[in-house]
Amino acid sequence: MERLSLKEVSKDSKIELLRELGYDSDGEFVLESGKKLLDRYLDVPIKLDNMVILPGSIIILDNNELSLSKYIEEFGDVF
Amino acid sequence: MSSEDPIESAFAGAVKGTIDWTFDAIKSFVIKLKDKKLAFIQDEETINLVKEQYHSGELSFYKEYVSDKEILFIVNMGLTLRKLHSKKDRRNNLRNKIFDKFEVNGVRIAQFVENGILNRYIGILIDNMSSIIDFKDKIIYVLKNINKHVLFVKKEDSERSVIQHVTSSVASNSPLIYIISGKSSAAEIVRKCEGRLVQLLPDYILEKISSNEMENLFFKRLIPKE
Repeated sequence: MERLSLKEVSKDSKIELLRELGYDSDGEFVLESGKKLLDRYLDVPIKLDNMVILPGSIIILDNNELSLSKYIEEFGDVF
Repeated sequence: MSSEDPIESAFAGAVKGTIDWTFDAIKSFVIKLKDKKLAFIQDEETINLVKEQYHSGELSFYKEYVSDKEILFIVNMGLTLRKLHSKKDRRNNLRNKIFDKFEVNGVRIAQFVENGILNRYIGILIDNMSSIIDFKDKIIYVLKNINKHVLFVKKEDSERSVIQHVTSSVASNSPLIYIISGKSSAAEIVRKCEGRLVQLLPDYILEKISSNEMENLFFKRLIPKE
């Protein structure tokens, strides 16, 4: 699987990508239906600057070892 | 940016600073994402660490003997903390997340693994193993009741409070193995308590795992003579 880093990507492009996926952003957090989207494993709001977007019905997570380990546990090593 | 190979173009653009994607590139990314051919990440380092840990031999070993999925996941987090040993900020960030998710007991289990205590604990259990079932039960029991089996000494603890805590806990729970663990300046406190604890725990024999940075005292209960 190809992996594309969001680190150098402009805020506008990241927001555009989120919109294309049915989400949005207030410039700081990822939004879903106007509300802050929570990391599915940690229940914390996901910052635009620290999000990862992974396959598996489109999963947006906070970039941290715990959430990513949980993701691999649930979906297998897809990377 | 070329829309024929937007990913290649996006990578190429990374060296120039902030990248703007065209609408076509975004459309193409979304198709690849939905086809499970693309993932958007932040840094390779985090993904690679998580992958490496997921496939590690040590975790595979624990998978054989730790049937509780949540405990096994915390064990995995302990191994990950160990890997982050030299990256203080990332280690502390993960430790905080373990606390948020699994509370204080989760942090203690992770620390038990991170400090290499679970390794040695299992080694001691193997020495006295009666059956695989009994072995597995003992591992789960110690991890679920971590407070009864280990004291993680903090730098602000006094020798007196450590000795008091250990003797009281051992008297109440009579564990098969009791561990006192300290890192950095707390390791020195553990070392200072050693002699007194040996005197106060006559039904236990001491085994130590020491390094410059860490001191782990394993007090192993003597099997009563028949």
